[in-house]
Amino acid sequence: MDALLSYYGLVIGVILGSIGIYGLLNSKNIVRILLSSEIIFNSAILLVFSASSLLGRTYLPIVFSIFAVSMGLVEVVVAFAAIILYYRNKNSLEVD
Amino acid sequence: MSLTNDFAIGFFTFFGIISIVAALFITRQKNVFYAAIGLVFVGISVAVMIALLNTSYSFYSVFHILLYVGSTVVFLAVSLVMFRGLDVKEIKVPWASLVALIVGVLIFLDLVVSFYSITPAAAISSFSLQTLANEILQNYWFPAIIIIIALLTTMIEAITLARRD
Repeated sequence: MDALLSYYGLVIGVILGSIGIYGLLNSKNIVRILLSSEIIFNSAILLVFSASSLLGRTYLPIVFSIFAVSMGLVEVVVAFAAIILYYRNKNSLEVD
Repeated sequence: MSLTNDFAIGFFTFFGIISIVAALFITRQKNVFYAAIGLVFVGISVAVMIALLNTSYSFYSVFHILLYVGSTVVFLAVSLVMFRGLDVKEIKVPWASLVALIVGVLIFLDLVVSFYSITPAAAISSFSLQTLANEILQNYWFPAIIIIIALLTTMIEAITLARRD
């Protein structure tokens, strides 16, 4: 059953990644671009766990993902600081 | 196949569909505040799917909900309230869906080629918090220090932004 769920996870991860790339390319709004990159981030985490489940790894995906989520938090805060500065200067969230 | 296995596959499919629908909602929603709320559903669905993959991964699943959904996404949603004019102007990029499809197919083919010859592991060793701590402190101490410094600089940045002068 684990293998079947892992294959499902790989497929769902690929679909989520594609949707994230679509959102990234199809928007001029800086916040939506950030949100689309977060979808890609989630799909990457799901792919890592699905692949690790197939390979029989326990700790490697957990350690990798803990670091990735922590860096993701830092990335969101830094990106949001940049968005606030952009909004103060341009009074808009649209990028050219 | 037992009833429990059927339930697990059913739940996995259900949350997979929720995550895909929520992701589509994020890309199509005009108001970015609601799009940020959609990210909560994506995060929770991914956490549940990870927990269903194997019980050893439940620890990370809780971590994902607490740190990712509980802080990152809520931070995004709350911060968006500061902005006026959250509505997104719709633009049509005709090649965006084609590029997304090509990238998706390429990643899928890469996965098929990579995992075609691999026999799935029979079982995964059980999870122990002590082993995880040893693993981080002995083998991954350098990335841990980098993360600590990055979180510290983020805190300084938040304080700097919060000051108005």
